[in-house]
Amino acid sequence: MAGPVLETDVLVIGGGMAGAMAALSARASNARVALVRRSPGATAVSSGVLSVGDDPRALPGDFFASRCSPGDAARWVAAADPDHPYARVGEGLGEIEQAIAFAAHELSALIAPPEDRNRWIMTPYGSAIPCALCQRSMAAGDLVEVEGLVAVVGFRGHLGFDARLVAQGIDRLEGLGAPRAEAVELALFMGQGESIAQPFALAQALEAPGAAEAAGELLGKVLPAGAAVALFPPVLGLGPQDGGPWKSVPERIAAAAGIAVAETASDVPSVPGLRLQRAIDARLAASGVELLQGEVAPGPGGPGAPLEVAGRSVVAASWILATGRYLPGGIRRRGVLQETIFDLPVEVGGWPRRTSTPMSTGSLARRPAASLTDRDERALQPLFRAGVRVDAQLRPLDVDGRPVHPRLHACGAVLGGHEPAADGTGMGVAILTGRLAGRAAAGKL
Amino acid sequence: MSYLAYRALLAHPWKRLWRRGPGRARFLAAYAPEGLVPTRVEDRRIAEAASACVACGLCESCCPLAVAAPAVRALGLPAVFRLYSRTAELAGLARGALDACGSCTRCDAICPTGVPIAAIVAHLSAGRAVERGAGG
Repeated sequence: MAGPVLETDVLVIGGGMAGAMAALSARASNARVALVRRSPGATAVSSGVLSVGDDPRALPGDFFASRCSPGDAARWVAAADPDHPYARVGEGLGEIEQAIAFAAHELSALIAPPEDRNRWIMTPYGSAIPCALCQRSMAAGDLVEVEGLVAVVGFRGHLGFDARLVAQGIDRLEGLGAPRAEAVELALFMGQGESIAQPFALAQALEAPGAAEAAGELLGKVLPAGAAVALFPPVLGLGPQDGGPWKSVPERIAAAAGIAVAETASDVPSVPGLRLQRAIDARLAASGVELLQGEVAPGPGGPGAPLEVAGRSVVAASWILATGRYLPGGIRRRGVLQETIFDLPVEVGGWPRRTSTPMSTGSLARRPAASLTDRDERALQPLFRAGVRVDAQLRPLDVDGRPVHPRLHACGAVLGGHEPAADGTGMGVAILTGRLAGRAAAGKL
Repeated sequence: MSYLAYRALLAHPWKRLWRRGPGRARFLAAYAPEGLVPTRVEDRRIAEAASACVACGLCESCCPLAVAAPAVRALGLPAVFRLYSRTAELAGLARGALDACGSCTRCDAICPTGVPIAAIVAHLSAGRAVERGAGG
């Protein structure tokens, strides 16, 4: 094995939102932390907003009826679903507000300061989604705050964003108290043989000197009367680059056009997702977390034993598993569902409370993954709720329900019981369980 | 169905009549112009690796050519994979992007699902070179 042995207190496996929160929170407890990851994960392809939970009493999309705070929404979720990680952490859920504030503080270069209610941000599909935290570039587009007309701006030739669709989506919400909206189009980047239509290329083109200003001037000429905010597709720059003074693309456009500028949440390819991942990487490096890139080769021992990580031997007193679920490969389907690094048992919680085929709740599923989908496409799909089962200290459990190891913790989407893509709690689970797991791991030294 | 019968009973024997040489060369001469080339073991391995692509587009963010080369910029790497997997004919649309690749392998490190992108692009480029040499 090449390289000297790296000795550290806490080893975090996975570098998305959950792994980052775990590493930063362990650092905040003065532990030495190493973090290994193979590549960016689901955080880098996320919409770029951080949803913790939605008011369950509000009608879908009825944002003015949604009056409870993100923390209270998380408590509703925990009360309604005992398999959800919000419920599994027990009293740890009481820290949800501190966890949100911690995430906002650690990533304050990118994330707008939290409010005590959900913000409502438009998506490129013309729907509005609630989020506890959003990026600074999105905050001005909070539908609850906007007073006046929303000018939805599209770039000509950018196929990933239909400004009229988004404007119609806002208009549909008008009866609920949303502002009115109108679509405008900027003919930028489409002249003289150049055609920039891909989101990342657009984001890089807008960061070039003068490009954002040109967009702003063009926008100033086509703005409808009474416009209070210009809502752009989520392509407004890839964020701070290394070194040099930096002014954000939304600020530059706003200064040139004389109007507040915001962007929507994102689809994939996701510029805000990559921006979030980069902000996380920068914060990890700045806070003194040892970053390793590569694979983890599982060995025979538990935490405290040497582990081969990215070609090095790492000895850490505590390990935190934050490998995510299907997309980054924390859980894989090989006939049955498997946790890929430590081969922990995978549970399919909550199955099937609303269907007729009985199977004990929270059973540790060793059954073909194909049998874990529900024919009712509106129902919660057990397959998408599958993950590692943990106790209240976030320690993974073996088939007998005992912790696998007292100093092995897990956090984020690798935990079962929630459906990150559908139930609107994915980032909230990452933030809360990441913080709790990081502190628990650092506290046992 | 009747078209398939026509291919099997009339068109295929007719083509065989005029071709001479070893089996593989004969097959390529008869069918490569239609885009029907035999699948080799490496082709299958590459196709399986490429099937892990979820078209998240992250590879484009770190591809220097995505900004510089119009062929890559217009189409994008995931689109190349999708086109190739659809039919070999459509892969021709991605020719510009494949030829532009400078093999810097930056894309491998950023892929969330671990697709060996650089190896696949290299394989597709090499494969096309062989086909062009053999069948036109």
